[in-house]
Amino acid sequence: MTSSSLSSSSRAANQPALLFYLAVGLVSAAVIALQIVIMRIFSVGSWAHFGSMVVSLVMMGFGLTSVVMCGANAWFEKHWQGVANVSLLAFGPLMVAANLLAQQIPFNAIFLISDAVQKWKLFGNFVLYLTPFLAGAFFLGAVFLRMKDVFGRVYFADLVGAGVGGLLLLGCLFLFRPENLIVVPLVLWFASGLVWFAAQSNHKPTIALVALAALSIGAHYWLPGALAIPKLAVSDYKGVSYARKFPDNQRVYESASPFGYLEVYSSSYLHFAPGLSDNAAFNLPEIPPNAYLGMYIDSDGPFGVMRKLSDAESAYFRYLPMQYPYVLKKDPSTFVVQFGGGISTRVALHNSKHVTVAEGNPAILDAFRNDKALRDFSGDILNDPKLNVIDYDGRLYLANTSNRYDVIDLSLADSAGLSNPGGFAIVEKYAYTREAMAAYMRALADGGVLSVTLWNKEEPPKSVLKLYATMVAAAQDAEPGAKNLSERFYAVSSYLSTATVLYKRGGFSADDVAKLHEHSHAMSFDELTYPGFEFDATQTAATLKSYREGIFGVDAATASANTASAAKSPDATVASKPAAAPTTEPTTAPAVDPTAPAEPSATSAADPTAPAEGVAMADPTAPDGTDPNGDPNGPGPAQVPATTMGQLAWYALLHNDWKTVADGYVFDTRPLTNNRPYFAAYVKPADLPRTTDRLEIFQDEWGYLLLWATLAIAAIAATWLVAIPVVLNWRTIFSRYPGQFRTILYFACLGLGYIMVEVSLIAKFVLPLGNPTVSASILITGMLVFSGLGSLASERFMERAKTVMPLIFIAIGAMLIAYGWLLDPALNAIGSLPYALRLVCCFVLIAPPAFLMGFPMSTAMTWLGRLNKNAMFLWAWGINGSFSVIGAALVPLIATSFGLAAVLQISGIAYLIAAPAFFAVFLPLKDTHPAPVN
Amino acid sequence: MFRRDFVLRSLAAVAAAPLARFAHAEAQAVSKVPVPFTFDMTPPIADREAFIAWGVKNRGEDPKFLMQRWNRLHALIQNKDVWDDKDKIAFLLNPREEFCRPVNRPHAYDSAFLDIGFGVTISGPHAVARMTQSLDLKRGEKVLEIGTGSGYQSSYLSRMTDKVYTIEIIKPLAERTRGVYDDLIARGYTEYKNISTKQADGYYGWEEKGPFDKIIVTCGIDHIPPPLLRQLKAGGTMVIPVGPPGAQRVLKVVKNQAADGTITVARSDIFGKIVPFVPFTKLDGDAIKGAHNGEAKDTK
Repeated sequence: MTSSSLSSSSRAANQPALLFYLAVGLVSAAVIALQIVIMRIFSVGSWAHFGSMVVSLVMMGFGLTSVVMCGANAWFEKHWQGVANVSLLAFGPLMVAANLLAQQIPFNAIFLISDAVQKWKLFGNFVLYLTPFLAGAFFLGAVFLRMKDVFGRVYFADLVGAGVGGLLLLGCLFLFRPENLIVVPLVLWFASGLVWFAAQSNHKPTIALVALAALSIGAHYWLPGALAIPKLAVSDYKGVSYARKFPDNQRVYESASPFGYLEVYSSSYLHFAPGLSDNAAFNLPEIPPNAYLGMYIDSDGPFGVMRKLSDAESAYFRYLPMQYPYVLKKDPSTFVVQFGGGISTRVALHNSKHVTVAEGNPAILDAFRNDKALRDFSGDILNDPKLNVIDYDGRLYLANTSNRYDVIDLSLADSAGLSNPGGFAIVEKYAYTREAMAAYMRALADGGVLSVTLWNKEEPPKSVLKLYATMVAAAQDAEPGAKNLSERFYAVSSYLSTATVLYKRGGFSADDVAKLHEHSHAMSFDELTYPGFEFDATQTAATLKSYREGIFGVDAATASANTASAAKSPDATVASKPAAAPTTEPTTAPAVDPTAPAEPSATSAADPTAPAEGVAMADPTAPDGTDPNGDPNGPGPAQVPATTMGQLAWYALLHNDWKTVADGYVFDTRPLTNNRPYFAAYVKPADLPRTTDRLEIFQDEWGYLLLWATLAIAAIAATWLVAIPVVLNWRTIFSRYPGQFRTILYFACLGLGYIMVEVSLIAKFVLPLGNPTVSASILITGMLVFSGLGSLASERFMERAKTVMPLIFIAIGAMLIAYGWLLDPALNAIGSLPYALRLVCCFVLIAPPAFLMGFPMSTAMTWLGRLNKNAMFLWAWGINGSFSVIGAALVPLIATSFGLAAVLQISGIAYLIAAPAFFAVFLPLKDTHPAPVN
Repeated sequence: MFRRDFVLRSLAAVAAAPLARFAHAEAQAVSKVPVPFTFDMTPPIADREAFIAWGVKNRGEDPKFLMQRWNRLHALIQNKDVWDDKDKIAFLLNPREEFCRPVNRPHAYDSAFLDIGFGVTISGPHAVARMTQSLDLKRGEKVLEIGTGSGYQSSYLSRMTDKVYTIEIIKPLAERTRGVYDDLIARGYTEYKNISTKQADGYYGWEEKGPFDKIIVTCGIDHIPPPLLRQLKAGGTMVIPVGPPGAQRVLKVVKNQAADGTITVARSDIFGKIVPFVPFTKLDGDAIKGAHNGEAKDTK
């Protein structure tokens, strides 16, 4: 079928064309599989966002090869087969070699700022991982160039190959540990080589291929052992590395799957009691010994797994923050939104008549259900007669069930609460969005209690403020028009430990409040709000200002003017006034500069580190001035600024003054929504330039900041890509190409638009599918395969492209803009269906835009090829690729600020812009020079 | 694979430790500390040249490190990380370079935290100074450190009291640091005899040596270990860094006992107020300048 398109001088032309397309598909499959493998290696060995950065920039390099090919396109066209053969032979061995070498220079993320060597190590990782992709890029470039007249077909093979390759790798995640995953792209490469050389009936390279494959496999499996070098170097700073150093550590469980590389370790050195009250120390005989296992997913953790405790040992549950709802509810029917390691489920089982627990990660459920060691240790918790297990997201279950619960608990669901020195990647947290919280609230029985506990280890507070704002917004949705929302919320925190918010449907009674006061006081937790709580709002401005200055320093312009107001540091003057508490204003305030300890003098008796001493403070935890457990005469502890900030935030949220606080606070505190489900990205965009000289204090934000770095590097690289051919070859090559700028614009729009749709839909489809891995596989495969079909179908319209394509652009643009608005309700509805049906519905949703989005690239490329615009053909391919990288980095940056809907709509606009630019493709070559040698 | 690698590396570290000690001991054999430590030592604080001369004469230390140490102290003072003379003196007597890995010695007095292997860092001098100052350790008080790590923190404390107890969970690291102390003692740093070390799970404290006046915890955990709170004397203070290195807040926990015997625990920040996170001063050659003014961070 392609005999006309393949040169008769080529031996290849005599072979079945099908084998060519198959080989192209297999190489594309290997390329995408290798990308995913590198991401997995970074996730397990260091931090995923560094993997994203490396892979993004490597794909940039992939695009940049087109510059080289563009500059010498005549040579490449002449020697296309040799280039393709050599690149293909090199691709596999380079994968293995690059990976092994990269593992010998593991960079240490946390020293990225302080140690210049680390940047070079990261760069080394990039260069090494780039090399196999260069081979892949030269192969595909050569083949594309050769088959440019029927680009739609070869592009179909490329896209479908990539889609299937992605799916295949995801399946193989069940079979291989992360360190051996590289075998998958290697096998795909080997298969592509066999097919490719069979198509040429050329046996010499086949022999070389077999030898190289044997060498590569041998090197991967044998060399690390022989040289005692790591196959996958796990950073010393990953959670699992610490467990591996405990003298008595033992790995009791291991499983590899698309849902993560899950390991469970036992050690007497593991202790979990998340958010434990300090008072436990003096009231409990002992904390249960040897009670825990540590669970790690992709080397991150630990997530505590608790053995079944005796009733006596269970006494310590009372000191955990997840105990709160049971202070009010006796023998409730309870729903635990996420099982995790199971500690909050244990607390629920201890206190409830019946418990329903949900867990969206099948790997965790599988471990607890089927592994004997884990079942024995956990007392076979998942088969507890009082327990009902929902094996998908609790959020989806609650949004679609008619069951009602007395208690719904979401406690410390997915983090170990320890600092993550590499920072956090930008992850969608759909369990914590306004929509999810409203669903939890609606699923409460009358008088039911929703309890949400979050780590409160940040100072200044970040995540907890977003949580508070989200829950109040959700309450407004769940009970529209409800007055006195302040009667429905109760919140406590423990400084640098945890924060718990209780929402009671219908509001707390006076008796409830008294019980909660008593419990919080007995636990020494700080109350942030309760019905009737009053806050002295005059401190708001000074507190907000102090936080801003704590991060960005005293602004030179306002420093002197504001010294007086800054002196009103919250710790020195705070006096939160509980409703009926006696006014115990500070009688003395330490005469120190609030933003820094006083310049000490030799005789100074003032201890700036202990401003509490001698300062009588109002005790917000003592209701009505009574103090059931504590010393009624002693001075209360000074309130830390974070507690003041929490009280201030709650008061503003419940008394309609939130905008002032949100605007004045140093970090972003907007609620999480299904459109913007992120705790990460807390730096306000306007402050970004001011972070550069103090990056260490934004370590937990590096996942976000790295995206800006990726974007900057990708933008510079793209500029080069555009500039180099212009500067070097303008006169020689491009002088004959009219409409270069519009052509650049066209392919840039396609590159940006396509990837932005793909990446944002991966994030969106987690909403109904509940799992990012499943979502990614559905999207990668669905988008690429449907676009591949679109590319194939575009051939039928090739002659009518000028009339058909504008309609297609308008259809794509309209569809994407509409998806931005309509997708959320559709996905919510899909979320309630049986899982198989959900997958089908997702494919149905993806198909129309993805199919049409296969047209523009193949149509334009085919016409460039037909018009013999060879240099432009390669250049366009490169521009498309590099703008894909820019687009991929842009998605989370736009999504965290404006939401995922905005990303889809911007993509739609990109396709609309591409429509008029499309016609530049047809401008004929100026015939001022002889045609290029073919 | 991982475990084998870890075991290999641990073995290598253990095996290398005596060698390193041997090499170190040979190199230092000639330079015994001329004047043994006493709690009455008063190195000059105000005058750098005088301090360097004093340090060479009394401690036999490298003038280059002495100068860097003096400079860093003055950055600490400027940044209000230390204010008591006893802390300043302890800082000046504490050879941080001995606790860094050789490759990092040139950066020993930078403001940054440094890698010491095993997934452990030696905290930056500002963080250590703040933690120590906020402990307000007095001579004769018993102090327990959880997480010996490099040994630098206990070394600091050993200039302030003669009863320092420190526990490290990672065996090869505990052994390496014990080796460093032993070397230093052999070289005449008698103050290291004030430090008792052990390799154990710090969660349970060191009951037979308690109760302690002060406890300093430098390891990550999701709650304060109850045994440590129990081993803290009434009126005692515990400090714990929380958060990522470089942006750590120091949690201060005070154990109060009321007249009726009721015990309460109060959490606060070491400053109890909002203070800028990172050092706002930097060393530029000899001069101390405000940082965050657009210049590069301090390097030497």
